[in-house]
Amino acid sequence: MLIEIKDLRKKYIMGEMEVEALRGVNLNISTNEFVSIMGPSGSGKSTLMNILGCLDTPSSGQYLFDSIDISSRTDDELSEIRNQKIGFIFQTFNLLPKLDALQNVELPLIYSGVEKHLRKDLAKKALKRLGLENRMNHKPNELSGGQRQRVAIARALVTNPGIILADEPTGNLDTKTGFEIMEIFKELHQEGNTIILITHEPEIAEQADRGIIIRDGLITKDALNTTIISPNKTILTQV
Amino acid sequence: MQLEENVQAAFNGLREHKFRSFLTMLGIIFGVASVIAMLSIGEGAKREAIKKYQQLGVNNIIIRDMDLSDKELESVRAKFSPGLSLKDAQAIKDIVPQIVDLAPQAEKKADVKYQDKSIKATLIGVTPSYSEILNYTTESGSFVNKDHQNRQLKVCVIGTDIASKFFTVDDPIGQSIKVDDQWLEVIGVLNSKSLFTETVGELASRDLNSDIYIPLSTFHKRFEKEKLLSSELKQITIKLEGSENISQISNIVENLINRHHFNNKDFSIVIPIELLKQEEKERRIYNILLGSIAAISLLVGGIGIMNIMLATVMERTREIGVRRAIGAKKDDILSQFITESLVLSITGGVIGVILGLTLSITISLSTAITTSVTLYSVLIAFLFSVLVGVTFGYLPARKAARLSPIESIRYE
Repeated sequence: MLIEIKDLRKKYIMGEMEVEALRGVNLNISTNEFVSIMGPSGSGKSTLMNILGCLDTPSSGQYLFDSIDISSRTDDELSEIRNQKIGFIFQTFNLLPKLDALQNVELPLIYSGVEKHLRKDLAKKALKRLGLENRMNHKPNELSGGQRQRVAIARALVTNPGIILADEPTGNLDTKTGFEIMEIFKELHQEGNTIILITHEPEIAEQADRGIIIRDGLITKDALNTTIISPNKTILTQV
Repeated sequence: MQLEENVQAAFNGLREHKFRSFLTMLGIIFGVASVIAMLSIGEGAKREAIKKYQQLGVNNIIIRDMDLSDKELESVRAKFSPGLSLKDAQAIKDIVPQIVDLAPQAEKKADVKYQDKSIKATLIGVTPSYSEILNYTTESGSFVNKDHQNRQLKVCVIGTDIASKFFTVDDPIGQSIKVDDQWLEVIGVLNSKSLFTETVGELASRDLNSDIYIPLSTFHKRFEKEKLLSSELKQITIKLEGSENISQISNIVENLINRHHFNNKDFSIVIPIELLKQEEKERRIYNILLGSIAAISLLVGGIGIMNIMLATVMERTREIGVRRAIGAKKDDILSQFITESLVLSITGGVIGVILGLTLSITISLSTAITTSVTLYSVLIAFLFSVLVGVTFGYLPARKAARLSPIESIRYE
C-alpha cells in the first residue's frame, strides 16, 4: 500500500474559532492507481491534498506514506520526501518566472544535490518526453498555458517520484488543452505512476479509475469508475 | 542547494534590478570608501611623523639649552649654572651607559653675504660626529671632518636653500661667503631635509635647509656669543645603542646635568621616540573616532540592505512556496537569501574599496595631506561589509525560511 490513512483529522485555529477541516478520513491508495478527489470549495480537499503531499501534518490520526509515518517526521525529512517521492502539479503552474524551462525542471534536482551535468541531462530528457525540446530556453512568459503545464509536469517527473499529485491541473487551461494534459496523465499512469488528481470538474474526474468525493471533511463516496471515457471521446461529445 | 546556483541567482537578481540594487548598496559603498579614506589619512600622518622623528634619530636623546631672557640668564648664572657646556658632554660620554656617540652643537643667528646677496641664517657649530648621529648627508662636497675641527678651519657646509639662493650658476664648493665678519669657504652642500612645520618639544621649528654648519672649534674661536651670558652649547644629541632603556637613560642624563647646573632648570630633554609614541597614541584615538563615524555609515548601509531584503522576501513569497514544495529545506531558503544579501554587500564593498582608493589618491594629490592606503585597511573595510551582509541579511532570510509552504504557495 502506497498511502494508508486512518482516522485523519486536521484542525485549524482561526482567531477564536477552531475549524475542523478534516473530520476522520480513512483512505488507502495502492501503487499505480489513478484516483480523482472531488469536492466543493471548503470541503477539505485542499487540506487533504496538502497532507497527502507532505506539505502539512495531521492534527491526529495516522498517515503512512510508503510505510513512513509522516506525523513524526521533521521539516527537513518532509522536504526530502517531497523532493524525491512526490511530483507536484498546480493549477497556476507555479513555474519560477525568471528561470527558463530547463532551469525550472532542474530545480528539484538541485535540492537533491544532483551533479550539474547529470542534472542538465535528466532535465532535458524530461522536457523532450513532453515534446518541449524546442522550448527549453524559453521563459514561462514566452510559453502557452499548455506548454507551461507540460514544463511543470516535466519538473514533477524529473526526480522520478512514482506519485504525481495534481491540484486542478486543467483549471487554467481551455478544454482542448486540458484534455491534452489529461492524456499525458493517462500515459504516465500506464507507465506505472500513481496519480492523484484533485478537481471540481466531473468530466475531468471521470477519467480516473477511482473517484473519491469529499464533503465537509469526510469522504462521502469512494468508488471505481465504471464508465471511463477517453478524453478524445469527451471532446467529441462536447463538439 | 548548491552555492554556485545561489550566487548566480543573486547576480541575476542584481542585474535585473540594477537601479534598486545600486541604491541599496550606496550605504555600504560610502561606508567602505570613507573607512578606507579615513584610515589612509591616519596612516599618511603616521608615516609623516615617523619620517620626522627618524630625522631626529629614534635612538637619540636630545638635550637642549633653554631659550632664556637676559634677566633669566643672569639669574641662573648667579646660581652657579654654567649652562650647557662641553664639560656636560664629556661627563655624559664618560658616565652614561649604552652610549654610541654624542654630538655637541652651538648656535647663533648670523648675517650671511655672498657678492651682493644677503640673508639671515642660523650658524651651527658642530663636531664631525654630527652628520652620522643626525643622518646628514651631503649633496656635493663633504661634511666637517676631524681635521677641520682640530685646526679650527674657516670652512662651512651650507643648506640646500642657501646654495640655491647664492649660487645660481657657480659651483658653491670652493667659494667664500661672509658670515657676520668672517669669511668662510664652502666645502659642502647638504641634501634637502624635510621642513619642520611644527614645533617638536623644545626644538624650535625652523627651515633646516637654510642652516650653515661650521666646526665647533671655529665657532667658539671666531664668533661672538649671541648674548654675553649665552651657554657654550645649544644642544647635545646623544645616540644610544637601542631605544629599549631610553627613558631610564634619559633620567640618568637629567640627574647628571642637574648636578652640574646646580639644579637650575635651564635645559630640556627631548626623546624623539617617546614623542613619536605619544603622538601615535593620540592619533590612534583620533583614528578610532573617525573609524566609528565611518562604521555608522556602514551600519546605515546594512539597514538599507535589510530593508530591501525584507521587501524581496515579501515579493517572492510564492517562489519560496514553490521551492519548498519541490523539496527545498528551510536551510536552503535561508542560505539562498543570505547569499543574496552577501552578494549585494560584497559588490557594494568592492565598489567602495575602489571609491576609497580613488578618494585617498585624490586627497593626497589635491591637498597637502599625505595619505597612505594599507592592505590592512582595505581588508578591514571589506570584511566589515561582509559582516554587514551576513548580519543584516540573516533576519529577512530567516523570515523567508520560516514561511509556511502551504500559505506562501497560494500567496498572490
